[in-house]
Amino acid sequence: MKLKYIPVYTADFEEQINFYTQKLGFRITGTMTFYEGRESTVIRSDKLNVALLVTNNDSNSDKSNIIINTADCLNDYHALRTAGVFFCKSPAYLPAGLAAEFLDPAGNKFMLLEERNYNEQ
Amino acid sequence: MDYSKVLRNNNKIVSRTGGQRQGPQYTSDLSLRFVLSGSERYDIGRRHLSIYPDSFLILNRGTQYSTDTDLDQQVQSFAINFDQQFLQDFKDCWTFDHDSLLDKGNGNGKVQPEFNETIYPFAGDIKYNVFHLKQHLDDGMQDEMLINEYLHHTLINYFHIYNDEICKKAEKLDFLNQGTRVEILRRLNLAKEFLYSNYNQNISLEDLAEHACLSVNHLLRTFKQAFGLTPHQFLIQLRLKRSLMLLKDTRYPVNEVVGMVGFECPSSFIRLFRTHYKITPLKYRQSA
Repeated sequence: MKLKYIPVYTADFEEQINFYTQKLGFRITGTMTFYEGRESTVIRSDKLNVALLVTNNDSNSDKSNIIINTADCLNDYHALRTAGVFFCKSPAYLPAGLAAEFLDPAGNKFMLLEERNYNEQ
Repeated sequence: MDYSKVLRNNNKIVSRTGGQRQGPQYTSDLSLRFVLSGSERYDIGRRHLSIYPDSFLILNRGTQYSTDTDLDQQVQSFAINFDQQFLQDFKDCWTFDHDSLLDKGNGNGKVQPEFNETIYPFAGDIKYNVFHLKQHLDDGMQDEMLINEYLHHTLINYFHIYNDEICKKAEKLDFLNQGTRVEILRRLNLAKEFLYSNYNQNISLEDLAEHACLSVNHLLRTFKQAFGLTPHQFLIQLRLKRSLMLLKDTRYPVNEVVGMVGFECPSSFIRLFRTHYKITPLKYRQSA
């Protein structure tokens, strides 16, 4: 078994796909139908090693919470911001490490987390 | 790698390898001094401070100092100098953020941290951020926005360390007067930096007390209050911690490491090491 897809729902499909492909570096790899009459678009990022399943949903009530692991939070925060991603939380220190957060157009929350080991001897 | 980089906002970053003596000079800005391998000695007035990879030094604007390294050592040092304006902007936004939580509209009442010129532990977030920054600069990264982002975070980290090492420790001292607490802690930091710098020598309590301008009794009592350890326990822990570095990063035999970190007897070193880290020095080296 392995984890393969993360579903995200959106009311504005076009805008959502543009955000993922132009700002986060995903590419469209195909479509799949899970539920009767609703097609999902599969997008993949080799860099993040993950596939998202973007589904049109007019009510748009389901939000995802996605945590992206990074080796250098400030660097990736800066790169994404330069690409035009708006961060709702700039990098701040948590017990787990350094983290920043942004929302996609549909309001799904992405956390950019650099885990740090504070118990190093 | 050797470079000296001055940013457009006058922040300056200097990376140097290899030791060389540098005669007396003045710092033009607040400066953070790191040593990533080997050790470097700073002479500031009568104080002789040695910086190792587990600690860093703060120098205030206008401090006169000279540096030196042992000839046989490969030393990698890294310094960040913060431009006055950059520092002021940072302080303004820092105090604004924190004032607004406590006391609206009274920015002047907040005591801003005085940069206490002493040795601080180089660990945790500041270490991660400085290593990331150095890696980018070594790779030739030129983006000043990103460099300043790292510098901004280095200051955030330093303020947190200052809060932990100075403010919180002063609170622990059993004196009613805030001024007395700050002054005693300043002297205890003199004792601490003396231990950091001479950890591999035989240090008598009298020497330590004299260096800190405190009586032996006073030193013993207040040191324990502030740091939770007696000076002797602090010194043993420091020696053990530095033996980890030598075991991990060098090939000196264990018997030599014992003497290098200031222990006299290998068997007591091994016993202390095992009690503290639940592993023997040799096994630690093999697993590191």
